[in-house]
Amino acid sequence: MGDPTGEPGSSMHGVTGREQSFAFSVASPIVHTDKTAKFDLPVDTEHKATVFKLFSFSKPHMRTFHLSWISFSTCFVSTFAAAPLVPIIRENLNLTKQDIGNAGVASVSGSIFSRLVMGAVCDLLGPRYGCAFLVMLSAPTVFSMSFVSGAAGFITVRFMIGFCLATFVSCQYWMSTMFNSQIIGLVNGTAAGWGNMGGGITQLLMPIVYEIIRRAGASAFTAWRIAFFVPGWLHIIMGILVLTLGQDLPDGNRAALEKSGEVAKDKFGKIMWYAVTNYRTWIFVLLYGYSMGVELSTDNVIAEYFFDRFHLKLHTAGLIAACFGMANFFARPAGGWASDFSAKYFGMRGRLWTLWIIQTAGGLFCVWLGRANTLVTAVVAMVLFSLGAQAACGATFAIVPFVSRRALGIISGLTGAGGNFGSGLTQLIFFSTSHFTTEEGLTWMGVMIVACTFPVTLIHFPQWGSMFLPPSKDPVKSTEEHYYGSEWTEQEKEKNMHQGSLRFAKNAKSEGGRRVRSASTPPDNTPNNV
Amino acid sequence: MMAKDHTLYQDLTCTQFFHQKSIFLLPKFPNSTMTIHTLLFVSLLIFSFIESSRGGNKDRLFTELQNLLEVTAKPVQDVIVLEAGKDMVTIKWKLKSSGKVDADATFKTIQVKLCYAPISQVDRPWRKTHNELFKDKTCPHEIVSKPYDKTPQSLDWTVDLDIPTGTYFVRAYGIDGDGQEVAYGQSSDEGRTKNLFSVQAISGGHVSLDIASILFSVFSVVSLLVFFVKEKKKAKLEQRE
Repeated sequence: MGDPTGEPGSSMHGVTGREQSFAFSVASPIVHTDKTAKFDLPVDTEHKATVFKLFSFSKPHMRTFHLSWISFSTCFVSTFAAAPLVPIIRENLNLTKQDIGNAGVASVSGSIFSRLVMGAVCDLLGPRYGCAFLVMLSAPTVFSMSFVSGAAGFITVRFMIGFCLATFVSCQYWMSTMFNSQIIGLVNGTAAGWGNMGGGITQLLMPIVYEIIRRAGASAFTAWRIAFFVPGWLHIIMGILVLTLGQDLPDGNRAALEKSGEVAKDKFGKIMWYAVTNYRTWIFVLLYGYSMGVELSTDNVIAEYFFDRFHLKLHTAGLIAACFGMANFFARPAGGWASDFSAKYFGMRGRLWTLWIIQTAGGLFCVWLGRANTLVTAVVAMVLFSLGAQAACGATFAIVPFVSRRALGIISGLTGAGGNFGSGLTQLIFFSTSHFTTEEGLTWMGVMIVACTFPVTLIHFPQWGSMFLPPSKDPVKSTEEHYYGSEWTEQEKEKNMHQGSLRFAKNAKSEGGRRVRSASTPPDNTPNNV
Repeated sequence: MMAKDHTLYQDLTCTQFFHQKSIFLLPKFPNSTMTIHTLLFVSLLIFSFIESSRGGNKDRLFTELQNLLEVTAKPVQDVIVLEAGKDMVTIKWKLKSSGKVDADATFKTIQVKLCYAPISQVDRPWRKTHNELFKDKTCPHEIVSKPYDKTPQSLDWTVDLDIPTGTYFVRAYGIDGDGQEVAYGQSSDEGRTKNLFSVQAISGGHVSLDIASILFSVFSVVSLLVFFVKEKKKAKLEQRE
């Protein structure tokens, strides 16, 4: 549903948030607005909104946006709800450092699989039911925290709650049914960033709820269990709101997923092949593991770290930890903006340098955080680290759309999974053993970020160059058409299956940098580049 | 203090110097926002360096304290494991007779705390023993804190509800008028291996909690299925019309 051609992986189009430059509205004259449709926002011929009005709740488009990002954020709240309460939970359940670390790994591992399944679920049931199903069926996992009595139960429940992070997929998919592809970039990027904020909100919310319950008279070891009811209720409330207020398509809820039928579907196997054999895919998988991945790991360890190291109260530690996750509100879009800004002057080479600089800076600030001995230094280092890591997430997905046109969906999915995998790995190595103290773990995590960001230097586009090498001189290979066309075989080209890629290649010429932009004629805003 | 003032003064004059020479030495910024951001960032850095160079005067070490108090802690009932919230411990403390007669002249307050034995500290760095008293996490649970009385004291203490499962001993600190620890005594030996007692914590779970949890979970699943079925039926009806 995310794409009229219905290709596999099309549900992920728009995920990257960077298909087009950040635009609040579609300026193209070629996107025909449908003036007969009675919607609050201007719409195109498919009745998808062409304008993104942030503070509106108009039905159905903006309502979908808000339902979507809030459900996604709720899932982040419940996945990381245990983190700020660990100082209490570890005493109740008699946990060791290994148990706490393993639970953290478990919390991010579940969604690696569930995200892969979610795309298919959305194709079958539609994004509204996909979201509602996931959110409401994971509510029991949140409530089951009240039964946990030891390390095994704790790890299992955190693993099960972690599945609900797949709402990321339903969120992005749902919005691509409601918003025109020319603005889907900004819409999805904002939703992703605001969803990630949930990891910060929970650090503030859970200790406050816990305090209130304590003051109401409950003992410490009961209060934290009751506190988990709050994310559980949020799941139920959001699920019901999505079901009652949401709709699958701009025109209604008909289970009519009628597709045009004439368009030939692309083969999953082929797309997978082109995704997997492009080496750049794997570099981005690694990179995202050390921008998004370290963000998730830090969400899990930072509140406990401040509580223990600086002898703070639970809600003070939670407040500081919340600052880390809440920076997503502007840091992620800022990373995308910085990438766009550098692309204006230096093209793709600028984007690569921006990504490398931001992510390396984040890594260095992480090292500083680990070595900070006073509270003020630690907070400053943490905030700078959060800006670096989250802006790097935004900058990563500013480049991913250009890696491949045909296999974009799968590459985005693999990159996202890499984020979770990196998080699990980092927590396993640095935060689950007695070998490192938490501050040593943070320092080494920072070193690993810097080391794992080096592969950006290896990313080379023949048509645009890489960080250190200029574009290829070969007249054939140095064209965008050749790069994107090489994903199609000759027979497929004869059938004209590659037209979408060619149109994309034409618009992608702006990645050549300033000399290309000023030299060439202004690019026509052809729609449907996604 | 003088040295630190001098450094700060140097920092400020340096900044002024650079401002005057800014055209030649500092990079040009395309707009004022970037300048402000950079200045803020630099001042943050300066603040942090000042902060981290300031030493603390909380450097009192445990090894500086004298073992002047004699403390005993015995469970009231002869059980292997004490239950939190239920069982009691008799704690007694007094000045050691082997010490000087008025060694406790400086004591204003006595603070009695429950401490983790080494076996309960394994793999749990948040309970680690540090020599610096302000860093030390061995004794986080306070039993009682009251004005110092020269006569031998005794207390029947019920184990608090929020005491975690573990093995413990009791330590008493003699605190002077400034709030600084001057002496201590503990119910165990120096290696903290003898005269320990075990506590089993409460589970924290309640039947009412379990029932509420199940009810809400069932509600969530059932309401989802009801919605789904209802909408499918409506869609079928609409299709037929």
